[in-house]
Amino acid sequence: MDALFELAVFAALLATGFLAGRVIEQRHYASIRAREAQYADVLAFGFRFPADRVTPQRVFLVTGTVVVSADYFKTFVAGLRNLFGGRLRAYETLLERARREALLRLKEDARRRGARMIVCVRFETTSITGGWAPSIEVLAYGTALIPEQTNRAT
Amino acid sequence: MRLENRRPAEGINASHENPLKEFAWLAAGSVALLVAVVAALAFAAEWLAPRLPYRYEARLAEGFDLAPAPKSDAARRVQAELQALADRLAARMALPPGMQVRVGYREEGIVNAYATLGGRTVFFRGLLAKLDSEDALAMVMAHELAHLKHRHPAAALGRGVAVGIVLSMISADLGRGAAGALGHAGLVTLFRFNREQERAADEEALRVLAAEYGHVGGAIDLFDAFARLPAAPREENIPAIEFLRTHPLTANRIAAVGEWAKHNGAALDGARRPLPPAIAAIRTRGERAS
Repeated sequence: MDALFELAVFAALLATGFLAGRVIEQRHYASIRAREAQYADVLAFGFRFPADRVTPQRVFLVTGTVVVSADYFKTFVAGLRNLFGGRLRAYETLLERARREALLRLKEDARRRGARMIVCVRFETTSITGGWAPSIEVLAYGTALIPEQTNRAT
Repeated sequence: MRLENRRPAEGINASHENPLKEFAWLAAGSVALLVAVVAALAFAAEWLAPRLPYRYEARLAEGFDLAPAPKSDAARRVQAELQALADRLAARMALPPGMQVRVGYREEGIVNAYATLGGRTVFFRGLLAKLDSEDALAMVMAHELAHLKHRHPAAALGRGVAVGIVLSMISADLGRGAAGALGHAGLVTLFRFNREQERAADEEALRVLAAEYGHVGGAIDLFDAFARLPAAPREENIPAIEFLRTHPLTANRIAAVGEWAKHNGAALDGARRPLPPAIAAIRTRGERAS
């Protein structure tokens, strides 16, 4: 009887994790895609120094960070996956969402301060363990540039 | 140089396939793996346990009151008669070295007898009340002793412990359930022997019966008595035909007795010995009461 109750609780957690996790994930993806279109005018690059054509007037650091948590369902599936090995699909979407979100927040930071270009973009990840589902933080940081405006004005 | 940012490509870094599909595969694989592990461990433990020296089983059995002492004088006399019969039959069987058979008697209406750890076997009043002759009683006794000889209780315990350990790794609750079944009450119900074990016990019992009485008529009497039992018990909610439920079909067993007798040149019929007085009195008392 106790075992049955335990099983019912487990099934409920799994179902909640799956349904809520899926809705949240789909909404997040929709929001990410919309904002990626919105922020298309802010360019972000990995190279360390500005391209030759750009003569920056002002240079400053911008950051974007996000903390996301896996749900009960993802954690359970990942646990099973650890038994057999292979591609951890459950966490791939989670981490992809985190990276894209961090980049968007980075661009938002840059645009608010008047920059349209970020160079030397880097990502860092920290895992926050504990609890029944792991969480991760993804940090994106880079160097925002505001180009010399006199060139265009003349 | 043209500076541009493209939209992130979809479906390369993360798969958008429905996670339920992966879950189904993983869950099915895990369950299959678990079943295989439990089955393999149960099989191995069942094989190994009877091969361990008997003294370990005896030491384990000391911790349980497996054959409680009878409370009344009448019950003590019944117990003594059962013990005497057990000793006589055990002398004809090659019991594991060091095993001392102890017969317990319980004044309960269930038609049952069982063999358990440490050379213990327990008889219920309900069963004794159904028997007409010592021959029939000896068939049950020899059957239980044969379980002890083949160390079937140890095999069943080994299997139970192995399954319990695996289950407790998954859920503490399932493990506790299995461990609880190993407690005193569980030692009775846990030991369901399989068909093969029952068949082996029957065969050994027939051999002992033929040697002791010169014929196997007691076995026929016993199975006939079982066939006459009502299907549903009236006074207790414990199944009255417990002994039948866990054993091969009565008709098959009667056929097997004939088969065995023919093969081994044993007589099917002969003079029956009367039940010892205290055991015979159970039946008389029961008839007077009803």
